[in-house]
Amino acid sequence: MTSLSFELTIGILKIFSFVVPVLVSVALLVYLERKVLGAVQLRKGPNVVGPFGILQSFADVLKLLTKENLLPSSSNKFLFIFAPMLTLILSLIAWAVIPISSTYVIANINIGILYLFAVSSFGVYGVIIAGWASNSKYPFLGALRSAAQMISYEVSIGFVIITVLICVGSLNLIDIVESQKNMWFAIPLLPMFVIFIISALAETNRLPFDLPEDEATLVAGFFTEYSSISFGLFFLAEYANMILMSSLTVILFLGGWYPPIDIFPLNAIPGIFWFVIKVFLILFVFLWVRATFPRYRYDQLMRLGWKIFLPFTLIWVVITSAFLFYFGLLPN
Amino acid sequence: MFLVGSFFLFAAFLITTCIFVIFSKNPVNSVLFLVLAFLNSTFLFILIGAEFVGIILAIVYIGAVAILFLFVVMMLDIQITTLMFNIKRYIPLALLFAGIILAEIIYLTVFKTSKDNLDTFIRSKNNTEQIGDVLYTEYFIDFQLSGIVLLLAMIGAIVLTHVYRPTIKRQNIESQNSTTAEDRVKLVKIKSGEGIKDD
Repeated sequence: MTSLSFELTIGILKIFSFVVPVLVSVALLVYLERKVLGAVQLRKGPNVVGPFGILQSFADVLKLLTKENLLPSSSNKFLFIFAPMLTLILSLIAWAVIPISSTYVIANINIGILYLFAVSSFGVYGVIIAGWASNSKYPFLGALRSAAQMISYEVSIGFVIITVLICVGSLNLIDIVESQKNMWFAIPLLPMFVIFIISALAETNRLPFDLPEDEATLVAGFFTEYSSISFGLFFLAEYANMILMSSLTVILFLGGWYPPIDIFPLNAIPGIFWFVIKVFLILFVFLWVRATFPRYRYDQLMRLGWKIFLPFTLIWVVITSAFLFYFGLLPN
Repeated sequence: MFLVGSFFLFAAFLITTCIFVIFSKNPVNSVLFLVLAFLNSTFLFILIGAEFVGIILAIVYIGAVAILFLFVVMMLDIQITTLMFNIKRYIPLALLFAGIILAEIIYLTVFKTSKDNLDTFIRSKNNTEQIGDVLYTEYFIDFQLSGIVLLLAMIGAIVLTHVYRPTIKRQNIESQNSTTAEDRVKLVKIKSGEGIKDD
């Protein structure tokens, strides 16, 4: 019995060792986003709270917590409160299978990548339930847009994942990273890498694909009716999802915890350092794209997903498997 | 002990959520209970060690099918009373399907298989590889046939619902992309006192 309680304690500590850094890095990511946007637009960004304004996000969280949580009178109360909780839970449980080094992971399961794919496809429920439970037209339209958008881009994400899996021969995330020891998949599968990043932008509802919360036409989209901490949970979940998709990109294409070249001063540095640096770079690309590109029109978004990405990824799956089969490179 | 306990827990949840699917008054709640039912069946699959089947069930049914149900149901304006009245009409059909499924289960578990053989076959390897080994070799024809059935269903649904309306305005992306500033704006020099000549 003592060994069980010991394992339970270790498990809970491990979970905290993932969740707490994720939540803190969400706060820092929001700060980074405002600083990057400021730099791109020749402004200073937040610079008052704390040194260089680094405590700005924590101040914002405190402000959100002290506000009143409004419930619209015509809403479905239970689902209205449940939706933000579901969104945050889904963005956090996905971290259960993310390996940040060859040994450090909460659950090293056989089908890690499918688990991640499943959890990220459940993400649309939080949005759609929030839109419906608000019982108001802007949230409802935002929810419908979001559902259509996320389903469309999941298809191409699925094909990109399949291409990587054909090269690896395993669904386990640690195996996926370890097969990139000599060459990161971003090099031979460069087009898929680009498509994955673009689809990740659409999947996390980030600019230039942030049509579910398009403020010019839909006020704030699916969370128009939300206030205080229930809005805060959506906000937290969106940024946690960004970090999650960046980690997934790093695991699938950028060699996880491996250094860029396997030579002495680089491979002496602990793997977690490389992992964090790469995630940070992908996140910077997310913010950079936000500052650079205008928003897509909705029909253009759908056209890109179904008429360009879907055929392209489908053909690339066939090409990759044919190449590997012809040259006898298929993994056992 | 732990396995048996969790089996009964999830099975009880599954049956409860299924009952709620049928009897909840709001169709949106029904679909959400259906999602819970799918989730519980995923857990049951994982409990018997078929994690691949379980997670594929979750991806396909929760991640795609139930979302489309929700999508349609949310936009319908259904009168709840007529819905409850109509439920009695479907009882004979429901009983028929229940009978067929029960017969299938009995046939498969009692007559068809010798269990111990199957069990060692499943445990010998990772079950994803197991499915991959037989899907395109032993069950190739069945696999392709089910693909054709799905394709037919898809084409059928499109043919039934798609109505070509010539009056509707469509976007022509190529002409939009090939547009230049000269097509949209024309600079005209106007002589004082003459105004624009319309040509």
